[in-house]
Amino acid sequence: MENNLIYSSSPHIKAKRTTRNIMIDVCIALIPATVMGIVYFGAYALLLVALSVLSAVAGEYIYLLIMKKPLREITREFDFSSVVSGMLIGITIGTNYPWYSPIFGSLFAVIVVKMLFGGTGKNVVNPAIAGRVFMFISFQWAVGAWLLPNLGSVYGETVISSATAVVDTSSGIVPKLSVLDMLLGTGMQGCIGETCKLALLAGGIYLAVRKVINLIFPLIYIALEGLTTVAIYGIDFALFLPSILSGGLILGAIFMATDYTTTPNTRLGNIIYFIALGILTAVLRFATNMETVSFAILLMNLTVPLIDKFILNRPFGYKKQIKTKGENK
Amino acid sequence: MSIFKPKRFPFGNRIHGTKLSKKSPTETIPAPEKVYISVSQHIGAPAIPVVNIGDRVKKGTLIAEASGAISANVYSSVSGTVSDIRDIVNGLNQRQKHIIIDNDFTGEEEFLPPMPDFEPQSIVERIRLAGIVGLGGAGFPTAAKLTPKTHLDTLIINGAECEPYLTCDYRLMIERTQEIYKGIKYVARALKVANIVIGIEINKPLAIKAFSEFSDLKVVALKKQYPMGSEKHLIYVCTGRKVPVGKMPFDVGCCVQNIKTVLAVFDAIENNRPLTETHITVSGHGIKNQKNLCAPIGTPFSSLIEYCGGKTENAKKIVAGGPMMGKALVSLNQFVRKTDSGLLCLTDTETSTDKPTNCINCGLCARKCPMRLMPMYIESFAMSGNFKEAERYGALNCVECGLCAYNCPARRALVQSISMAKAKIKEMKNGK
Repeated sequence: MENNLIYSSSPHIKAKRTTRNIMIDVCIALIPATVMGIVYFGAYALLLVALSVLSAVAGEYIYLLIMKKPLREITREFDFSSVVSGMLIGITIGTNYPWYSPIFGSLFAVIVVKMLFGGTGKNVVNPAIAGRVFMFISFQWAVGAWLLPNLGSVYGETVISSATAVVDTSSGIVPKLSVLDMLLGTGMQGCIGETCKLALLAGGIYLAVRKVINLIFPLIYIALEGLTTVAIYGIDFALFLPSILSGGLILGAIFMATDYTTTPNTRLGNIIYFIALGILTAVLRFATNMETVSFAILLMNLTVPLIDKFILNRPFGYKKQIKTKGENK
Repeated sequence: MSIFKPKRFPFGNRIHGTKLSKKSPTETIPAPEKVYISVSQHIGAPAIPVVNIGDRVKKGTLIAEASGAISANVYSSVSGTVSDIRDIVNGLNQRQKHIIIDNDFTGEEEFLPPMPDFEPQSIVERIRLAGIVGLGGAGFPTAAKLTPKTHLDTLIINGAECEPYLTCDYRLMIERTQEIYKGIKYVARALKVANIVIGIEINKPLAIKAFSEFSDLKVVALKKQYPMGSEKHLIYVCTGRKVPVGKMPFDVGCCVQNIKTVLAVFDAIENNRPLTETHITVSGHGIKNQKNLCAPIGTPFSSLIEYCGGKTENAKKIVAGGPMMGKALVSLNQFVRKTDSGLLCLTDTETSTDKPTNCINCGLCARKCPMRLMPMYIESFAMSGNFKEAERYGALNCVECGLCAYNCPARRALVQSISMAKAKIKEMKNGK
C-alpha cells in the first residue's frame, strides 16, 4: 500500500452510534432513579450502588486480565456494559441487604453470566437480572425487614405494603395505596431504584428520545401486566394502576426487558416476547405473591433463541407462492 | 405538471453525509497527456482491442469492440497515438487490459455515422454502437436493457442520487435539463412506453422544479431516505410494484435508467458522439476544492485530484464511487471508467476506523435493511462458513447498500461478510 491509504470494505462512513455510546446513554438514563433512591434510602444505598458498580467493572477487568489481554486494550475496548449491569444490580436490591451482597451479585453477573459466555452480546440471559436473582436466592438468610424511606407519604400516613403484592391474599383485602405515593415512591418500601417511578419514566423517555429503545415495547409489557392482573382478580379496574406501579415492573420493563442481547431481533418477535412477558409476570405475581418481574424476564430470556428461530423477516418482494417444498420462511 | 408523492417505504434511513460540491458547476477537465482506457468497464465480456501499438486514433475512434451480446464498445477519448496495450493492476486490485494513448492535443474528432431514422430499432442500434452502459455504477450494457423479452409499460429515470457527497447527477439535471429530457424521450421511444416517471430526491428542489415543467413526465419527489436510488426500491416508491425475489425490473414492466445514461443517449443520437467522457464528483474533506467534473475516460485519478487542488494532509482513504457503496482504492493507479461517478478523499474523521466488537443483537441492521434481510444472521453464518444457511436467510437478495454496516453500533463489517457469502453461494451453484 502506498501513501498509507486505508483500505476497507464499503460503507466508508458510519453512523455516530457505537456500543459504548448506547451503554453510556443507558447509564445516564439510570441516574435519576439512582439519585432518588439515594435520597430516599440514604448513604447506605449509595454504598450498595457504588460497591456493585465497582465490583462489576473489576470483575470484567479481572476476567480479561486472567485471559491475558493487555490492560491498555481492555481500557480501550471497555464498553460500559458492566457499568450498566452494576448500576442495575445496585438499585434492584433493598437497603435491607447486607453490604457484601452486591459484590457477589455483580461478580456473578459479569463473570459467570456475561464473560464466560463470550462477553457483551453473547450472554444468554440479562446479567443484571441473573445477578439480582442470585442475590435474592443466596442472601435470603441475611436480609432484614424492608426499611422505610426517609420521606413519608404525601398523605401523611405510612403505607404498609410489601414492594409487590397488590392484594394481600391471606386477608383478601386490597391495601390502601395512593397512586401518587406509588408514582413518587414516597412512603414506599422497596428496592433502591424501583420506588420512584417518575424518575424511571424520565429515564425511559430519555432513552426513547435518544432512540436507544422503542418505548412501545415496555408499554406493551406494562399494559399487559396490568390488564392480566385486572382479569385475574375478576375485572377490577381499580387494580390496574396499583398493579403496574408496584414492585420492579417499570424498572424491569424499561431497563431490563429491553436489553438488546436478550430480546428478539424482529418487530413481530418483540411484540410476542413482551406480550408473553406481561402475562407471565402477572400470573407469577398472582401465583406466588412475590416480586416476580426478574424471574419472568429471566424465563422469557431463555425463549428468545426459540422466537428468533421461527420469526424471521421476509425479504422485500417475498411472495408466499414461490415457497418450495422443504423451505420454511 | 404537478409533483407526485412517493409511496411510503418504511425502511432505510437518512445518512449524515453532506453534499459538499452541490453549488459548484460542472467543469470540463482538460485532457491529460496520457489516457489509460480499460477494455472492461462494464458487466459482461471484456471488449477486444481493434487497434495496434503505434496506430493513430482520433477522439471517438473505436479502439475496442464488443465481444458478445453483454459487452460494450470502447472509444478513444483523446486524439493521439496508441503507445501500449497491456495489463495493468488498477487501484481496485483488478488486473485489466488497458489501451494507453498518448495525447497529441490536436483535438481531432471522429463522429458516428448520422442516424438513418429515429425508429426504436435504430435507436437501440445506436446505443449499442456508442458503447453506452448503465452509468449509475453497475455498467450493464444499455442496449441489452432496452431489448427486454417481456412487455414494458413504464420507464423510470433515476435522479435520486441518494449517496452522500455525490452531486454530478444533480448538476446535470439543472444544467442540461433539455438535453436530458430529449434523451429520456429517445429511450422511451426505443422501449415504446408512454409512461415516464422521474424520481428525484426532495433535497434537490431545483431539479424537481426543472423537470416538473415537462407535461409528459411524472416527477416523483422522493423522500431523503437512503437507498432510494436502488432499482427495486425506486420502482416500488414510484409505481407501487414490488419486484419479486430473484426477479428483475422488467418482470414488473419497468425499466430504470440513470440520468447520465440518458444524457449519453442524447449525445450519441443528436451529436453522433460515442461515449468518451463521464461526469464525476470529486469530493470529501480530504480534497482542497470539491468539484463536479466532466472527464475523458481513461484520465488518471491523480490528474483529477491535481485539478481539484490536491489532497489535504489528513486524507486517509480514497474511494471510487459514493461513500456507501464505493470501493476504497489501494493505490492511485486508477483511471476514470465509464461507470465512475465519484472520487472521494476522506479524512480520518469522516471515515471510521473503529475495530469491530461483538454483535450486541440490537437488531438495527434488520430494522434498517431495505431488503428486509437479517444481516446479523447472514454475517454469522458467513463467518462460520455455513453458506447454505446464509442463502436460506436470503443472502442473495442483498443489494449491498451498506446501511447495515453504516448503522451497526458494534462496527461490524456486515456488507463485506454478506458479499463474501454471496460470492460463495454463486460459486456453489455454478459448481453443481
